[in-house]
Amino acid sequence: MFDLINEIGQTMRNNKLRTGLTGFAVAWGIFMLIILLGLSRGLMSGFEANSSERNLNSVSVWRGMTSIPYKGYKEGRQIRLKASTVDKLNQSNNKYIGNASAYNYIDSAKVTGPKDYVSNGIEGIAPESQRDQRIKIYAGRFINQADMNNNRKVMVISRKTAKTIFGSDSTEVIGQRVKSLGLAWTIVGLFDREWGEDDNYVPFNTAVALSGGDPSIWSMNVYIENVSDEKTALEAEDAIRGELAKIYDFHPADRSAAPMWNRFTNYLQNKEGMKILDYAVWIIGIFTMLSGIVGVSNIMFVSVRERTHEIGIRRAIGAKRRNILTQIILESVSITTIFGYLGIVMGMIVMQIIAHFFGNGGSGNSPLGNPTVDLSIALKVTLVLIIAGALAGLFPALKATKVKPVEALRDE
Amino acid sequence: MIIRLKDINKTYPGVVPLHVLKDINLDIERGELVAIMGASGSGKSTLLNILGILDNYDSGEYFLDGVLIKDLSENRAAELRNRMIGFVFQSFNLISYKNAVENVALPLFYQGVSRRKRNMLAMEQLERMGLADRAHHLPGELSGGQKQRVAIARSLITNPSIILADEPTGALDSTTSHDVMNLFRELNAEGMTIVIVTHDPGVGAATNRIIRISDGRIVPDEPVIAEQPQIIV
Ligand SMILES: Nc1ncnc2c1ncn2[C@@H]1O[C@H](COP(=O)(O)OP(=O)(O)OP(=O)(O)O)[C@@H](O)[C@H]1O
Ligand SMILES: [Mg+2]
Repeated sequence: MFDLINEIGQTMRNNKLRTGLTGFAVAWGIFMLIILLGLSRGLMSGFEANSSERNLNSVSVWRGMTSIPYKGYKEGRQIRLKASTVDKLNQSNNKYIGNASAYNYIDSAKVTGPKDYVSNGIEGIAPESQRDQRIKIYAGRFINQADMNNNRKVMVISRKTAKTIFGSDSTEVIGQRVKSLGLAWTIVGLFDREWGEDDNYVPFNTAVALSGGDPSIWSMNVYIENVSDEKTALEAEDAIRGELAKIYDFHPADRSAAPMWNRFTNYLQNKEGMKILDYAVWIIGIFTMLSGIVGVSNIMFVSVRERTHEIGIRRAIGAKRRNILTQIILESVSITTIFGYLGIVMGMIVMQIIAHFFGNGGSGNSPLGNPTVDLSIALKVTLVLIIAGALAGLFPALKATKVKPVEALRDE
Repeated sequence: MIIRLKDINKTYPGVVPLHVLKDINLDIERGELVAIMGASGSGKSTLLNILGILDNYDSGEYFLDGVLIKDLSENRAAELRNRMIGFVFQSFNLISYKNAVENVALPLFYQGVSRRKRNMLAMEQLERMGLADRAHHLPGELSGGQKQRVAIARSLITNPSIILADEPTGALDSTTSHDVMNLFRELNAEGMTIVIVTHDPGVGAATNRIIRISDGRIVPDEPVIAEQPQIIV
């Protein structure tokens, strides 16, 4: 075996240009494949990360306008969502409807601290919205259920706002008072976010109570339960619409009366898209492999023709067909494997660079994961390369075995 | 009797089939040094290919060292070539990217002999040919005569029953030709059976028996050159 490897090494070194060209083709193909796989995997893992961060099983509902005449009402009627609707939905026994929450924005409100004030309004928000809104608490805490139940006058502001109105964004700010809408509020938390730094959050119930009566709201978020697929997700939408239709007297099938965005169906569609992307990458991968195999095969054919005389000599002095066959196939396997690995290594390096510059900023979320390839992947890749190389070498090798030993005697 | 040919016929198929060998009957004894001579195209190489189990014949019987060489499988033919026959060619047929030792050792590679043993035996053969100092040279770095001696070393390495040489001096100048022929005579003196195809009457004269072939037939026996002068000029 070692002898054979030696023999192959010698022929490869003897045909540097040919070996180099073939090798380049193989390495390039594998390299492109790795980049492609890496990018698609990056996309997918990004998507998965995104999906897990957001609450998938929720539906947003906005204000709408009726499009079907119903119970004596004409179409074109504005449906104004009311804060009380949130409670009504929360009391629903429908198996699909879970917790509902909303925002109540009081835009006229100023928030005044010891140093300065901001006039961005205050936003009534439910505790569960923290996740959807990606509000990262820097110090203190977010609005909690006790705040909601007791209509507490507590506020969560951004570090930027804290700096403006207190002149400091340190934890000392927690527990301090600010004034808004003529009332005193306690700062319970500071948040950190790249966008929406001007928001000042207070408990939803407090904001509703302060607004007086039953203020209208812009939108609602409703968690849906017992959904597993497209069908149940749509049934959940219908259930919410049905509840709203009872409250606001519109036709239960009137979609425009209460426009919705169902994150779950959206997720399912994206997932479908990812699946197609995955298939596409596989198909491209298989064709890349095939074209690589054809390329190597072609060059091996040329090599066999060039070496007809040499093969004839080997046959004349006692090489069996099997010897010639294994030699050519192993040559092909060696070229494919060596340069295949080269392509893999280059591809991984480039992917690391791409991940470094374009990845989610050092969150360790590199599309290729850990650069130390684990043993099973190394084995699989080796197996695939060996099989591809053997396939590429098979037909040229069979041709080589057809070389008659008399060829050795035929001069020039 | 190392070689016995009985009514061998060979036709190259084609649009116009070519009947190259016609009823060839030939016996060669162990230890003979034989030349096959004849005009170009008379069928000498074809005959040698058949003797070397490189090519098939159509009818007749060929016994090599008592073994009937007929309808052999490719593998069996390769094995017999490897063990029983040493080839020497006009154009040397060395593998250009292998050095002298590797070329000489190659037949043993196909016998599965270990690398160390192979190279040791190859060195011995090269020493015998006076080429020990050229052992690690590539064929391109050797003269014609040196190349042919490497080829002869290769033909000897498996300790064959017979050496078949097709125009072994065809590419060499006359002095070198003489050296090579003297080498063959020495090997013959040690008991090796050698068959040489040649155009060169000088080469023919250096053998013990000349088989003349004309238009695919063996020309009835020449008188055997009985008492050979020791040195041929
Ligand atoms: N593979 C082949 N197919 C068809 N015809 C062939 C083949 N090999 C040789 N011949 C023909 O057979 C005849 C004998 O060829 P061969 O090579 O045996 O001659 P030769 O005596 O060795 O000639 P030379 O002295 O020129 O080498 C020639 O006419 C040649 O053209
Ligand atoms: Mg000839």
